[in-house]
Amino acid sequence: MIILVGLNHKTAPLAVRERLFAGCQERAQLLSDLQAIDGMREILHLSTCNRVEVIASTDDAPLAVAGLKEFLARNGGLTGEETASCLYAYSNDEAIRHLFRVAASLDSLVMGETQILGQVKDAYRQALAQNAIGIALNRLMHRAFRTAKRVRTETGIAANPVSVSYAAVELAKKIFGTLTGKKILIIGAGEMAELTGTHLIGNGAEEITVANRSPAQAALLAEKFHGRAVSLASLDETLCDVDIVISSTGAPTYVVTHEMVQRSLRKRKNRLLFLIDIAVPRDIDPAVDAVENVYLYNIDDLQDIVDENMKNRRREALRAEQIVEEEVSQYANWLKELEAVPTIVSLRTKAEGIVQAELEKAQHWMGHLENGDREKVEALVNGIVNKILHAPVAVMKEESAALHSQDIVAAARQLFRLDD
Amino acid sequence: MASVESILFGLSLTCIAFAALGYLLSLLVQKVQFAKISTWVLAAGFLFLTLNLLMAAFHSVAWGGFGSRRFLSIYAWAIAGIYLGLQFKTKTRVLGAFIAPLILLFIIVAAGQESGKNLVPPDWQGWLTVLHLVLAIAGEALFVLACGAGAMYLIQNNLLKHKKPGKMSNLLPSLGDLDRINAIALLWGFVFLTLGMIGGAVFAAFVWPDAWIYDPKVIWAFMVWVVYGVLLHQRLAIGWKGSRMAILSCVVFLLFILSALIVRFCLSTVHNFI
Repeated sequence: MIILVGLNHKTAPLAVRERLFAGCQERAQLLSDLQAIDGMREILHLSTCNRVEVIASTDDAPLAVAGLKEFLARNGGLTGEETASCLYAYSNDEAIRHLFRVAASLDSLVMGETQILGQVKDAYRQALAQNAIGIALNRLMHRAFRTAKRVRTETGIAANPVSVSYAAVELAKKIFGTLTGKKILIIGAGEMAELTGTHLIGNGAEEITVANRSPAQAALLAEKFHGRAVSLASLDETLCDVDIVISSTGAPTYVVTHEMVQRSLRKRKNRLLFLIDIAVPRDIDPAVDAVENVYLYNIDDLQDIVDENMKNRRREALRAEQIVEEEVSQYANWLKELEAVPTIVSLRTKAEGIVQAELEKAQHWMGHLENGDREKVEALVNGIVNKILHAPVAVMKEESAALHSQDIVAAARQLFRLDD
Repeated sequence: MASVESILFGLSLTCIAFAALGYLLSLLVQKVQFAKISTWVLAAGFLFLTLNLLMAAFHSVAWGGFGSRRFLSIYAWAIAGIYLGLQFKTKTRVLGAFIAPLILLFIIVAAGQESGKNLVPPDWQGWLTVLHLVLAIAGEALFVLACGAGAMYLIQNNLLKHKKPGKMSNLLPSLGDLDRINAIALLWGFVFLTLGMIGGAVFAAFVWPDAWIYDPKVIWAFMVWVVYGVLLHQRLAIGWKGSRMAILSCVVFLLFILSALIVRFCLSTVHNFI
């Protein structure tokens, strides 16, 4: 049986999350401590800044859940009462579903972000390296990766940016195609302008110029980007040279006016110009937007795009949930078959099928036998088959309580080709 | 052998029709996968058409046999070839939604023509005529492409100016890419058309010394050449770019299609292949 115990950003306040997260830092030790908890068969542990979760397979779910809850609280230096309202415990399909949703980033703070899958993969590798997982969790994790991949490729959940600075980068790509070699001018020194600049550079933009009222601040930011600093007075000249302008000053009037842009256009030979105004009050005269080959987006325009994208993500999430459901039921079916009893049943059914088929084939030469003799032959065949099956069936029954019974069952299913 | 030729033509027509539908579907349901498949289907159609034209050239005597069907097929072939070449280089698949229907139109009209008819007067048949035709057609095909890229530029520009960079905008290529395609198509279109016209003029000077210069189609072609020359000059020397160039490529192209139809139906010309 698969269980999952943990907490995330929705169920636990930051104070609790950071305590538990801190307790989970020593990963190697942590896994062996977890393995020592009563009732654990296989175990995997995932901790990120937004969640701490333990996934396990066990034969005694209540015992294992209680042990895990107690361990997590103690490990974070908290009492059971303090964590009681934060921790959730799922079993069977619910646990599988939760893990798949986490891996597919449906449970993330920013839905559709891609970091979480990497963290889940890291957790899997760690558990694998410490021999903490066996056949059930191994398959479970591969199914989780598969689910995440399907969600990413079959739905548009991660398609559009949901932060203002990424939205600006996406727009720049729609205007210029590639950002390689594009020149950027940052006016002012806001944090958002800096972040947007960083993203643009990360996408290939090359030269950064910083203009600021204070030359010292301009030089500081320019140094960060290995760019150059210019004064606000030389803005006219700089504007002729750049492709993307990000403005976020505290100036009460327009820093970039319609005339300035109009003037620059001639010298720019009508090259496309993308202006991003993230200042309030605005830095760039809105009339600039009417100029040919100039594209002006202010903070509200960008926020609208982000809101729209967020709405789309939520819509795509509904389709993602369907994919998760499909994968959950497929895995749950597979897991059920890993139990000894259904495997023994299908083994016997298969053997009986073979006996029947062979006896049928032998009809033509057994036709001349007396009824009594025919029954004897049939009894002989059945006897041989039962003797052969006796040992594997007995082993499966004996081991069904042991920790690694699933391995034996899986081996039997493979050896006798019961899944074909 | 004629049957193999017509089978190839039929296959090509079918492929191009499916490609055009696929491209339009990809725009309609906003899924790029359809456009990807359509590109390969179009490539298959192009291949069949190439084989068809090669076989025809092989079987024709002394560079003759330039009927309406051949003429229109070469148009379709040139547009498809240039589009596919550009496509594999720039990955701007959705351009196909604008180009493939046009290719389909040419090939459908071609299918309606008699295959064996020969409209080039016997004493004009020769390799220089073929060269003249193929170069001029290639030039015009590139102007078709410039117009397609221009139309897409205007749509994308409109979406971005109105702050609506949604799904539709995601599907279209970037403004920069479209403007580059427009520039390449104008430049090479002009080069091919110039070479084609020189070829025609040289040939005409020998076999048709009197009055070729007054043929309406020649005057039309000269106008096309001058206007596209001016466009190219504005682009390269003055630095016109972006939406202005996109609008002009579309308007100029539509005007020339219109005047070509007037020349065809209202005036008498020896360049009468359709």
